[in-house]
Amino acid sequence: MSVSQAELLNGLSPAQAAQVMALATSIRLASGSTLFELGAAADSLFVVEHGRISLTLPMQVCKHAQDVLIEERVPGQAIGWSALIPPHRFTLKATALLDSEVLSIPRDALTAYFETHPDVGYVVTRNAAEMMGQRLQVFQAMWLREMQRVVELRTS
Amino acid sequence: MFLSVMTLSLIGVAVAALLFAAATRGATPAPPTPDERLLRLPSHFFADDRATHARPVIPIEVLLLQIERHVRLEQAAAESFRARPTAETLQSATTSPLSGSQMLN
Repeated sequence: MSVSQAELLNGLSPAQAAQVMALATSIRLASGSTLFELGAAADSLFVVEHGRISLTLPMQVCKHAQDVLIEERVPGQAIGWSALIPPHRFTLKATALLDSEVLSIPRDALTAYFETHPDVGYVVTRNAAEMMGQRLQVFQAMWLREMQRVVELRTS
Repeated sequence: MFLSVMTLSLIGVAVAALLFAAATRGATPAPPTPDERLLRLPSHFFADDRATHARPVIPIEVLLLQIERHVRLEQAAAESFRARPTAETLQSATTSPLSGSQMLN
């Protein structure tokens, strides 16, 4: 993945994107390893560079708590928007499905950079808002589809 | 006359009862054997109660795979709705084994 392909950096010039990415450090994850746990402090935002990351939530299956897939993230996509939104706690668990590499951008460094470069902060924040809005719309539709099923089961 | 007829009737009934008891003494009742024809019939008109007692147990690994497939299919359907928001795309069916129509079977 090149820096310009990161969805979080859409609309930035290559120089601006490179400056944001200069804040990041690369993290290698072996297949099956955990990037962050549900409820952990969200101090960094991540961008998938290589591999595949699953986002899961615990669900009771046959009276056992099991991590159930909610979403997957592939190269270019961002993970951990909770780092940008109070109370800064991860609301999902992230695990590498393959050997993966992510770029970790610390929130403190990012917000400090945005304060000195508000034009970059505006674009990145708008991209993050767009991604959150898309996710909200998808999950609204998924929720309604499940509700529809519940109603059909109750009335059949 | 009436009394003699009645007495003879009672004696006849008593003798018949004694003979019946003597004939059936020592014979154990045979266990009821299910009628094969009845076993082949559905046990209930609307539902087969044998099916409810012997509900197949799905291994947890299979169930987890079904849930994962369901989530992927549902997410794809929801993405389709987001791209083209209509009532039809919102209600579009998937082949998920956990969808309502499958669960009812």
